[in-house]
Amino acid sequence: MDKFRMLFQHFQSSSESVMNGICLLLAVVTVKLYSSFDFNCPCLARYNALYGLGLLLAPPLALFLCGLLANRQSVVMVEEWRRPAGHRRKDPGIIRYMCSSVLQRALAAPLVWILLALLDGKCFVCAFSNSVDPEKFLDFANMTPSQVQFFLAKVPCKEDELVRNSPARKAVSRYLRCLSQAIGWSVTLLLIIAAFLARCLRPCFDQTGFLQRRYWSNYVDLEQKLFDETCCEHARDFAHRCVLHFFASMQSELQARGLHRDNACRSPEPPAVPEPPEVLDSGSGKAHLRAISSREQVDHLLSTWYSRKPPLDLAASPGLCGGGLSHRAPTFALGTRLSQHTDV
Amino acid sequence: MDKFRMIFQFLQSNQESFMNGICGIMALASAQMYSAFDFNCPCLPGYNAAYSAGILLAPPLVLFLLGLVMNNNVSMLAEEWKRPPGRRAKDPAVLRYMFCSMAQRALIAPVVWVAVTLLDGKCFLCAFCTAVPVTALGNGSLAPGLPAPELARLLARVPCPEIYDGDWLLAREVAVRYLRCISQALGWSFVLLTTLLAFVVRSVRPCFTQVAFLKSKYWSHYIDIERKLFDETCTEHAKAFAKVCIQQFFEAMNHDLELGHTHGTLATAPASTAAPTPPDGAEEEREKLRGITDQGTMNRLLTSWHKCKPPLQLGREEPPLMGNGWAGGGPRPPRKEVATYFSKV
Repeated sequence: MDKFRMLFQHFQSSSESVMNGICLLLAVVTVKLYSSFDFNCPCLARYNALYGLGLLLAPPLALFLCGLLANRQSVVMVEEWRRPAGHRRKDPGIIRYMCSSVLQRALAAPLVWILLALLDGKCFVCAFSNSVDPEKFLDFANMTPSQVQFFLAKVPCKEDELVRNSPARKAVSRYLRCLSQAIGWSVTLLLIIAAFLARCLRPCFDQTGFLQRRYWSNYVDLEQKLFDETCCEHARDFAHRCVLHFFASMQSELQARGLHRDNACRSPEPPAVPEPPEVLDSGSGKAHLRAISSREQVDHLLSTWYSRKPPLDLAASPGLCGGGLSHRAPTFALGTRLSQHTDV
Repeated sequence: MDKFRMIFQFLQSNQESFMNGICGIMALASAQMYSAFDFNCPCLPGYNAAYSAGILLAPPLVLFLLGLVMNNNVSMLAEEWKRPPGRRAKDPAVLRYMFCSMAQRALIAPVVWVAVTLLDGKCFLCAFCTAVPVTALGNGSLAPGLPAPELARLLARVPCPEIYDGDWLLAREVAVRYLRCISQALGWSFVLLTTLLAFVVRSVRPCFTQVAFLKSKYWSHYIDIERKLFDETCTEHAKAFAKVCIQQFFEAMNHDLELGHTHGTLATAPASTAAPTPPDGAEEEREKLRGITDQGTMNRLLTSWHKCKPPLQLGREEPPLMGNGWAGGGPRPPRKEVATYFSKV
């Protein structure tokens, strides 16, 4: 149990770790998907190549799109790309960095599928059985070309009566599987070498630029998360105040009626003044509402957040937007307030 | 149990992964349901297509409706849609946002069912076995000699290996492979199409309606929270109401008993015991009642909450709820609390 807890904590520790965790999960799902998929080569002349190549390429594409969908940072990247510059200028380097990190993680699951398919060999055998050169195999010497093509199309289907227990079929199948596995291992080796070189040689080029871009892309992601959290807290306090106001108005209304009716005689007890909202607030409630207490103000705040993000300068004089940033109550530390979400 | 709790905590740690978790769980449930289902093709010419179409379309519809029903926010959407505007205008963008987010999540299970059905191939095989091109795949010369109903009857048995008797015309394996290949191709195309659609919708949205999206997200979350807080406040009120009611009952009973005991001797007892000082705890309970102390008033409050929700404007003097025009006491200083906030800045 402790192991699991540590694992989860590790993956939650930063947004990059969360993305790595999702990437790993998707890779595991891909392996499971491939092993549970029932491969079914049609063993017909024109259909084989279509089926084999389709199965080699379409699922990786779908998995790539799933990887982009599951990654929160892809949406953050598009938002950062499309926002108006406002008080904060845009840095294309950050967007490029985010794009490359999103793409790298999204490519993991498709590559796993392609490598599994190549190492397994069934796709390759199905797709290229008709393209094999019959000259290489002695068993085809006595057959007409059309018979050869018909036979080759049936090679991927072991149980078909035409090719059952045929040494020619086994020869062709072995040849194609060997080719497929060779390609698979070569691709694996190439990828690993490329990843290794990229990782080792990166510090040789523009290391400071890289550190800056990494910092600011992490910042953008965290800022978006914190903004969403702050909006949630604000909505909670707004709702709380609204509901209490409603009850208080009902109470004052009743008292007003009571006083109006018993105008002549004193009421048995002095009307209890409804507690002014200050008493209903705790200190944290005031901090969260921050004078944003009507629909128009909230709408204005949200559209300003989009169209004119505040400058990245905490010591600047508080303007309309700067005020919000420089006077954020230090009630949350970066990266540790990831709780209390209600879903919609 | 510990493991589940931790997985749940991880999924809840941020809203995005929570929604992804829910989608993953529903996808798994749908796939599991399909594998547990025992497909049983009738192998009769007229019935095959109807059975297969039923299996392909009816469970996804059921799953979609189930997904909507199990989502707590459906009732919230319906409430917000049907409430009278009162003092708070209705925003159709918020309703649309709420409906879209619910529908998106409810569509996951049906999509997985359709994809798994097509990738498995049994349904497609059952539906289209009579449409197999016999001339291309089997002994083409023998096919024209057969009358159409006989051919259909023969081909309809392809999905059922134990009763298939058409090997002289068309090898069963060839037909099965052919149809399953087409079914799987359709399945993967469907999966690709849906993921492409989802990707386009998600990525292109920030390019167009980001401000409207932020507003709708905020206000739909607000409505959800407000509803929950109102329910909590009502529960607190009901508890306090019940406590005070029971206390009063016991006091009244106590008072009656005392009266009964001392009836002969002290007929003027009421003066001293008329208003027994309630214990200190009762004061706190009475405060929680906020002056709403009878059934009629509470009913009016609840009706008013539905018919005439308060405006989204704090820090302003509230006009009378019942609309009888009486303004009550002098207005409380409306800007006082706002000034307090600004002074923090």
